[in-house]
This record gives sequence, structure tokens and C-alpha cells, in this order.
Amino acid sequence: MAFITIAPPAQPGSVDAQLSGPRKVSGPFSSLRSLPSHVLLIVLAIVSIFPIYWMFVTAFRPSSDALSTNPLPGPLSLESFQYVLKTIPIAGMLANTFGMALTLAASQLLVAILASYGFARWDFIGKKALYLLFVGSWLVPFQVTMIPNYLLVSQMGLLNTITGVVIPQLCSAFAVMMLRQHLEAFPKDLLDASQMDGRSSWRTLWEVVVPNLRPALAALGIMLFISAWNEYLWPSLIMQKSDALIQVGIRGFLGAEGNNWGAIMAASSLACLPIFLIYIFLQRYVVDAFVRSGLK
Amino acid sequence: MFIETAGPAAGIAPAGPTGLPVTRRPNRRALSPYLYILPAVVLLLVWTYWPLGQTVNLSFNDWNLIPTKPKQYVDVQKYAKVLSLPELHQALINTGLYILAFLGISVALPLVFALLSRKVQGKARTAYQALIFVPFLITPVASSAIWRWLFAPEGGTIPAIAAALGAPIGNVFRDPDSSMIAVIVIVGWQMLGFGVLVVSAGLAGISPDYAAAASIDGASGRQITWRIIIPLLSPSLVFLSLMTILLSAQWTYPIIDLVTQGGPGNSSTNIYYLLYQFGFRNFDAGLSSAAGTLFFLGFGLIALVFVELSERLSFYDN
Repeated sequence: MAFITIAPPAQPGSVDAQLSGPRKVSGPFSSLRSLPSHVLLIVLAIVSIFPIYWMFVTAFRPSSDALSTNPLPGPLSLESFQYVLKTIPIAGMLANTFGMALTLAASQLLVAILASYGFARWDFIGKKALYLLFVGSWLVPFQVTMIPNYLLVSQMGLLNTITGVVIPQLCSAFAVMMLRQHLEAFPKDLLDASQMDGRSSWRTLWEVVVPNLRPALAALGIMLFISAWNEYLWPSLIMQKSDALIQVGIRGFLGAEGNNWGAIMAASSLACLPIFLIYIFLQRYVVDAFVRSGLK
Repeated sequence: MFIETAGPAAGIAPAGPTGLPVTRRPNRRALSPYLYILPAVVLLLVWTYWPLGQTVNLSFNDWNLIPTKPKQYVDVQKYAKVLSLPELHQALINTGLYILAFLGISVALPLVFALLSRKVQGKARTAYQALIFVPFLITPVASSAIWRWLFAPEGGTIPAIAAALGAPIGNVFRDPDSSMIAVIVIVGWQMLGFGVLVVSAGLAGISPDYAAAASIDGASGRQITWRIIIPLLSPSLVFLSLMTILLSAQWTYPIIDLVTQGGPGNSSTNIYYLLYQFGFRNFDAGLSSAAGTLFFLGFGLIALVFVELSERLSFYDN
């Protein structure tokens, strides 16, 4: 699967080389030329990272100097984390939220694999109209349908349950659209060969298409997981009497703790931890997925 | 499972417009695509389109969301009421301002940064981008907590710096003049990285041959940027702009709810927060639905205009 690489190696005939005039600059001059760009990017990186750095620094300070403005961490202390663990069942919240995000990502991925395969492989009556259903659903903001959705979940008796949070979002139109683009570019010789081998369309999907789309599926799955983890509106409506999920639990903690910044920062770092781990280990996939979504 | 056997003349199935082999057989197999699409369509109908119809239906009724209370048909009264509310006008103006601010932060700024930092390539570039993208992944509860701490009047970093510079600031979230700016700072901090990434990837995808050919023809760097690079980037830019317009209200919602609750005095609210307040604070389902129906129609129009624009403006590099 051809992924867009964020940083292609600079080719000798690249724009940059062309723009720097006819003579190719090399050695220390070229690095001097790019110095302003480096400065610009460093400033941007600091602006992006400092708040997150500050969260961790504050979380690891002893509670006596949580309000310290010393930009460097002093002696590391786990006091704030211990306080959070003692005060709210944050481990349970993290586990629940992880389960929720995993269920959503898996379900959205499965539904999208089936639907995009159906769209990409056959011509059939009503194909355009059905696809418009998916495109059109992008135009329906969740806030516009939240009252009927809330009533439906409430009639099912699922208020304050994680099932109630998951059930309206089992299908992601966005995932269907993304995967369909991937499948349009799928080499048809492989499908033809599979057909000639006498495989049914179902077996072709699982034995030929899915194994070949693995990187794309992984990237999309990670992206869906992160989106589900960061979901806020719906959990906050459904979980009004329960703090089983991190979004709602931390919100309650924020309200209760007021200015206990050390504890609040410790709880916030824990809420971001799974996403940071995914990003550290699977950064390429994450970036590729989010960027690919923006290229078509 | 029905196994398809290739007929004697069917060496290779004819390629359809999608480039995949197309099966055109008016037999049982004609059902296949529908069966594959069925789960997704059913879920969409149940959780998106049917509720949308319900919302339109509710907008003509007076109802306080209590299941035992009957709904009362009130014709277009809710629409008339919602259009006359000063909160709605404030929310619409705010939403417009938010959109303008985010177009600047997630489209214009990334474009400038991407063009200015083209000289940085390879590993260094990847490292910078990896760092710049991190805020986009932070969950809203955490990002609002971080910025509440940074803006805290007691011990917060930003007021401390402002005081040191001789321009002390108070509690930015409690001041109607600054609450919206504070929300823009927080959401913008998250959106900037996404914009930078999309624009950079778009730039990386442009073949260098165009610029090379133009510079041989004697075009200046500036001409190349404006006449070649930016037009070729237009699909990425149109996409980013559309995302920003359609989604900025969504991105802003959690931060408004967590940091300012739309206040003080509705100074930082937006249309979605208003829908939430009408529905789940005032328990006026009709009012929330009438407003929601109007917003849906408005966004639909904007999206159609954009689709038209992108068809006309985009230069694809084929």
C-alpha cells in the first residue's frame, strides 16, 4: 500500500534545489540557508509541546510546590498520582474507556470493510444513491440528532451504560469513505486471479483483500481508536450518573478539585497516557492515517 | 457459499469504472453487494437519518423531554421563537468568528509555515512534525485542564509572563472580552498541528518537475509559489477549509463546555453549545430541534457551495 511519506528524501532536482538558484549550494551553506526555517519550526514545536511538558512537570512535583513556576522539574514525586489513585477509581475508568474505544474501532472497521468492498467490487442498481447516504451523513452534525438518539438509548434502557455510549456509533461513514478509496486502487489482477481460483467473494475478501490492506487497516483502526477515546459530547450526555469513562470522570474531578493543580495534572496525564503510548510506538501509522484523510 | 465458476469465454471479467472486475450477472449474485453494504446502511438509517427525521418532527412540537408528557403540535412557533432569541444571534456571530479564527490557524498559518520551512527535509522535518502534531491527539478534558492551569490567575504561567511584561491579565475565562480568545487559543493549539501536517503532505506530493520547468523558463521563486505551488495545493487547502468550517463548531464544543460553559453572558458560546443548552438545560426539545434543523440546512448549503468551488478551483496533478 503506497502511503504518503511525510518527508520524502530531497531529490537533487527538487523545488528547493531549483529555488536556490542555478548553482547547487552544499555543505555548511545549505544548512545556513535553512537556519530560519529551523528556527521557525523550533518555535512551533515549543508552542505545541510546552503545555504538555508543563502538565507532566506539574504532575510530578511534590504537592508542597505544585504552584512552582520553575520551568525545570525539581525532585520527582509521585504524591499527586497517589492522591488521584486514592480519590477516584481512575484505573477502572481507563480500562472502561479502553474497552469502549477498542469496541468502537473494531466495529467501525469491520462494518467499513464490508461496505467498502461492496461498493468497490460491484456495479449495482442504486449504488450512487446508497453512497450518497454515507457522504450525506457527514453533513448531519451529531448535536442535531442528539435528542432523538438520547431518547432511543433511553428507551433501550441503556442510559449510564457503556453500551449506550457505543451503540449509536458502530458505523463510521468516514471509515467507509476512506476504505473505499483504498479499494478503488486495489490491483484488480489479484481479484481476477482469486476469482479464477474459484474463491467466493467472501473468501476473496478475507484471504486476498484484507491481508493486502493490512497497513491501511491498521492506520485507519488506530485513527478510529483515537477518535473514540477523545469523544466527549456523547459520553457526557449518556453518563450523567456514572463516572465509568475517563471523559466524565476527569470532568467531575476537575470540578471537585478546584485549584489542586498537581492532582489535576496527574489525572490529565493518565487520561492521555494510552494515546501517547500509541503515538510513540506507532507514530508513522497515526500520522499517515490522519494525513491521508486530508489528501483526497 | 455460492462458488462462481469462470465461463469458457470469461477469461477476465470486464473492468468497471472502478477498475475492479465487475460482476454483471442477473442471478443470485446480484444480491451480494447489497448484503455487504447492509450492516452499514442499517446503522446509518437507525442512528443518523431516522433521528434526523425525528428532529425535524420535534421542531414542530412543544415538549419537555418527559416521556409521560404528551407532545403538543405548535406549527412553526418554535422557529419563530428561536429566530427572535438574542442568544441565537450571539451564538451565530460567535460561530462565524470561531470559524474565521480557525481558518487562519488551521489553513493560512500552516500554509505559510509549510512554504517557509520547505528547506528543512529528511529526519529533522519528520521530528518537528511529530512534535507539532501531538496536541491534536490530546483528549479534550486534558487539554482544557492544562490550559486552565496555564491561565490560572494564581500561579499560572501565562499571567505570570504577562505580569512580567507589564501587561497583567486577570481571569481570562471570567472576562467576556477574553473568554472567546481563550477558547480559540486552546482549540487552535490543537488544530494547528493537523493543518501543518496536511499542507506539508500536500506539498510533498507535488512533483518538483513543474517548478524545475518554470525556473528554466525564467520564473522567479515568488511566481513559482503563487502560480504553481498554491494552485497545485488547492485540493488540500479546499479540504482543510471545508473541514474547518464544518467541524470547528464540533472541536470547540467540548472546550466551551469544560472551560467557560458558553459564558460569561454567552460571550463564548457557539451554535452547538446552544443546542445542548436548549435541549438538556432548558428541556425544550422543540426549540433545540428547530435550531438544529436550521443549522443543518445552513451547513448543507455551505458544503454544496464548497463542492462546487472545489470542482472549479482544483488543479489536480495527473
